[in-house]
Amino acid sequence: MKGLLHKTLLFYSIFTTIVLLSSYPFVYWAMDNLYKEDVDEAIFQRKDEFIAYNLPNLKIEDIQQWNRFNRDIKILPDTVASKEFNHIIEQNNYDTLVSEWEPYRILYTKIKIQHQKAVLMIQLNLVESEDLIATLGRFYLGILFVLLAVILMFAKFTSKYLWKSFYDTLQKIEQFNLEKHDAPTFQQSNIKEFEQLNKSLKKLISTNIQVYQSQKEFIENAAHELQTPLAVFQGKIDTLLQLSDVTHEQFEILSSMNDTVSKLNRMNKNLLLLSKINTPQYNETIHFNLAELIKKPLDFFSEQAIAKNIKIKLEIDDTVMVKANFVLTEILVSNLFLNAIRHNVNKGSIHISLSNHTLVFTNTGIPEALNNDKLFTRFSKSNPSSQGNGLGLSIIKAIADLNQWTVSYSFQNKLHTFSIAF
Amino acid sequence: MKILLIEDEKEISNSIKSYLKTNDIICEVTHKVQEALEKIANYEYDCILLDLMLPDGNGFEVLKTLKSLNKSDGIIIISAIESLDTRLEGFNLGADDFLTKPFHLSELLVRIHSLVRRKNFNGNNIIKFNEIQIDFFAKTVSVNDVKIDFTKKEIDLLLYLIGNHKKVLSKSALAEHLSGDMADMLDNHNFVYAHIKNLKKKLNEAGCQDYVKSVYGLGYKWEA
Repeated sequence: MKGLLHKTLLFYSIFTTIVLLSSYPFVYWAMDNLYKEDVDEAIFQRKDEFIAYNLPNLKIEDIQQWNRFNRDIKILPDTVASKEFNHIIEQNNYDTLVSEWEPYRILYTKIKIQHQKAVLMIQLNLVESEDLIATLGRFYLGILFVLLAVILMFAKFTSKYLWKSFYDTLQKIEQFNLEKHDAPTFQQSNIKEFEQLNKSLKKLISTNIQVYQSQKEFIENAAHELQTPLAVFQGKIDTLLQLSDVTHEQFEILSSMNDTVSKLNRMNKNLLLLSKINTPQYNETIHFNLAELIKKPLDFFSEQAIAKNIKIKLEIDDTVMVKANFVLTEILVSNLFLNAIRHNVNKGSIHISLSNHTLVFTNTGIPEALNNDKLFTRFSKSNPSSQGNGLGLSIIKAIADLNQWTVSYSFQNKLHTFSIAF
Repeated sequence: MKILLIEDEKEISNSIKSYLKTNDIICEVTHKVQEALEKIANYEYDCILLDLMLPDGNGFEVLKTLKSLNKSDGIIIISAIESLDTRLEGFNLGADDFLTKPFHLSELLVRIHSLVRRKNFNGNNIIKFNEIQIDFFAKTVSVNDVKIDFTKKEIDLLLYLIGNHKKVLSKSALAEHLSGDMADMLDNHNFVYAHIKNLKKKLNEAGCQDYVKSVYGLGYKWEA
């Protein structure tokens, strides 16, 4: 992709060259005509001069003498069965001096010298057309060169002055991040279109921020408002369980209701978390040892893994430090653990490696690759029957994004790999 | 034991009240800050359960007043708000514990027990249940005066079970209690079974009676 100015410059150059080159034949033709007209005029003038000043005094005996000293004005005998009279013709004559053919403009006129008929021939040498073409060509090259230089300077000038505010705007939009909701302030421009662009962008951005903000608030409020009814629900189930005559069947129903409430609760908490990740609540960052953070919940997750006969293998560099929000990083690691356990198979394995700039979780699971496009979107579940709520990976992604870390997924040798590069 | 419950959601306060009643805990309920302040000024409570969002004000006002009155009642905040800031502010203002809604009533009961024990530390810090004795602060367990080697988690589980004496405990309540901070993450109850099995085995080997009853294989109950 080429830049705007580069393209303009290219177009201008091509256009200029084409116009200049296509004008070349016309200019040549015009120059040629003008030149010939001028020469013809000179010939007629010489004729008039000859008739006015030379002819009256010329005698027949002088003719030979005249012809000896005049190369371009000659008096020929009447016998010359010439082509046309009183009409200038063009003819190539052989020039013995330079041994080449030279173009001439020639006029034949009938005159009378002492009542004897004769023919007057006036000829003028023309510049050779090749010479004219070459000269004109050099001239054209000069013009082209100057024009291109001017265009280049013009382009530099426009980019520096005219397009300045445009590039400024472009750079600011590029850096704009909706989640950080810091609306950019654009440079004032005295060009109508750019000012219009800036205004429209400003409006678009502020609407976007507003919509984004209200959507976030909505999620937060909705999740929050749900907590209380959930608490009521939970309390009622706990109370019901205490009744003395609960049958096995009823207990089963209550148990599954219990699980559903905790699932709802988890989902709610995750939604709340997602809506809060970019808020000042999690702004504070500290330097900490990532290896320790990974090992901390290991007991708990090992216990979970044992229930599924999953083996966890660690390959951790104990010295790795990161600078991030501690609470969020804990959540990120827990989610990676949980993901690797939840989507694993019985007697599977989990391999965790931590090196200087990457944390990699590799685990066994379903024998096919997951859909990379949808993987990190909310509520996209690869396995509909799984216990997950489809928010775990979105949370991982959101936390990674916040720290400008990259999350990637790959599937190789029947192993699912999630890596975080920081 | 007498506690004060400041909670505006009637359904929640009813559930809490009825759950605690069978464990000999008298629960006084109010849903207004003003009324709560009057009660606190006039009566002594072992523990106060405090919701933060109340119709006539913020629960933090109650905390502030308590602090200014130099009262050292144990306070557990029960709130739907779950931000770190709210938690920290609560603790700064003198709250002893923070329980986010929704929670299991069994969890609340254990927290109340634990808080009351911490508050009366000069008094009774030994929990006795027939032949079992638990030293709350030393974190030791003995059966028939013989010390048994219990992990912290096992003691915690034992306290939870004994604290909810005669209550039916669902596996999910136990799982959430055992997983603590990781409560969000749980999706299998097998590890609850493993923990209970371990606990039963240790108690059994020490010559303790089997008090842990399974309820239809879906829950547990501590009963003599």
